[in-house]
Amino acid sequence: MTKLSVEILERALKRERAARKQAERILEQKARELYTLTQELQFSNKELEHMVWEKTSELKGVFENIIDAFVVMDLSGKVLKMNDAAIDLLGYTIANEPINLIDIVHPDEKQGIIDAFKLLYVNGSVANYQVKVITKEGKTRLVDINASIIYDEKDKPVAAQGIVRDITEFKCLENQKEILLKKLEKSNDELQEYAHVVSHDLKSPLRSIYALVDWIKEDNEGQFNEETLHNFSLIDITLEKMEQLISDVLDYSSVTSENVSAAEVDLNIVFKDIYQILYLPDHIKLSCIKNLPSIKGNRSRLQQLFQNLISNAIRYCDKEEGLIDLDYKDQGEFYQFSIQDNGIGIAPEHHEKIFKIFQSLHQNKESTGVGLSIVKKIVESYQGEIWLESALGEGTTFYFTLKKEL
Amino acid sequence: MKGIVFTELLDLVEEKFGLGMVDTIIENSELESGGVYTAVGTYSFAEMLSLLKSLSAATGISIDDLLEVYAEHFFSVVEVSYPGFLAQYNDPIEMLASIENHIHVEVRKIYPDAELPTFDIEEKTDKSLTMLYTSSRAMYSFGRGLMNKTFEHFNSSATIIMEKLKEDGTEVRFIITKND
Repeated sequence: MTKLSVEILERALKRERAARKQAERILEQKARELYTLTQELQFSNKELEHMVWEKTSELKGVFENIIDAFVVMDLSGKVLKMNDAAIDLLGYTIANEPINLIDIVHPDEKQGIIDAFKLLYVNGSVANYQVKVITKEGKTRLVDINASIIYDEKDKPVAAQGIVRDITEFKCLENQKEILLKKLEKSNDELQEYAHVVSHDLKSPLRSIYALVDWIKEDNEGQFNEETLHNFSLIDITLEKMEQLISDVLDYSSVTSENVSAAEVDLNIVFKDIYQILYLPDHIKLSCIKNLPSIKGNRSRLQQLFQNLISNAIRYCDKEEGLIDLDYKDQGEFYQFSIQDNGIGIAPEHHEKIFKIFQSLHQNKESTGVGLSIVKKIVESYQGEIWLESALGEGTTFYFTLKKEL
Repeated sequence: MKGIVFTELLDLVEEKFGLGMVDTIIENSELESGGVYTAVGTYSFAEMLSLLKSLSAATGISIDDLLEVYAEHFFSVVEVSYPGFLAQYNDPIEMLASIENHIHVEVRKIYPDAELPTFDIEEKTDKSLTMLYTSSRAMYSFGRGLMNKTFEHFNSSATIIMEKLKEDGTEVRFIITKND
């Protein structure tokens, strides 16, 4: 070998050796980098695992503890998972027998559930879908389903989940309620009709008695003694009272919330009318503290309400100077009215009783015991309340509320 | 520049001209690395230029021709190292058209610091492709060598015309027409 080629080889060998060392150094460095990277990856993997575990346990808790039946199914409706409530509801356990939601739907609603599935697929969710299902025991249950699609990380639909609520009983109760309401309405109508008929039928014999008594008196003019005449006048008074009673009962039975028409009623005008209609003795002063509001409702009912209360206050005044004050407060949704008098007062034990029909505290020929029960009924038809404060011998204040708009 | 480009060049020089030529060009070039290269290292592009100049001077072959031959050799490195990568394609035009948007994207995943040329497609049909090469390295002939081998890989051939848009070769138009 020539000296030159030996030199060349030596140089080549030297380069190769240096290159090898360089490569080893670089690879060592890369290995270190890889090691660090692996460590970091392992750490973040652990963190991710922990997060996944946490979420899984969270979901598992929700899945198991949710009161409603919860079902996870694939896109064809095959049930993949169900919680205890779902097993209780449907009677199936998927471990033993695979089920498809479409198969357990009532035969009449098959097409409906298929359409609902399509809708679920297109929109991603379905809310309050009601369908009849047949349980394993063969019972038909009406259920309400809220379902949504489960997507994978690429937004591809992979499954569906649904909350299934048994509304059979609820629907049943709802239907019963509906029927009861209809029945109630009907019997209310019948009752009103009955009151009409009865009062009409009662009034005509009354009028006959009235006429007969008159004839007896005419036929025997001058023949009756003082006592008999007095008894005849008592018959007249009793008949009059009887007629008034019948009219009041009819009146009472016709107050229902349906009679409330929605016209704007200016209570100042109502008050002025009452002032003119009522006989107000000179020693009684009736005043309105401030300008009254307008309210939506039935004018004649509102007048009846105020008139009954004011006429009571006039009737039961025993003072030399009687005072009756009408006032009100705005309470937002309601107006609260007050009618205060300085009359005889009402004992606490009677505060409830006076609103009941036919309950008059005094044997007064003008009182039938219906007035305050009509008042109460009118107030209630405006969703209001009525109560009173009173001290015997000092006076009474009636309070009542009326809803501004019904 | 990636070390493998140096080691493969020196291997090819040794194969074609002998170890003496390798020694000559290394000795004749100003090399910061002293001619010590490993495939996993990274070295200055100036060293490559210097080696090519020395090789051209010693052999009398132009740098462009040397680069083209070297590129043809280099293609086999790709064939051996990344056979799966080539298997993704079944047409040379399709493969060349995907340099910018696919091949270079993948290369950057393996070598994040790689400095790559750009190949912008100006026109493309089933049989032809016009691309604009841009690189400060002016290694267009290396590109042409790789293209020739690409066609060969798919048992095909092509006529490749290069138009220098800049005298220094940093911008070159490739007009590639597949032969029937």
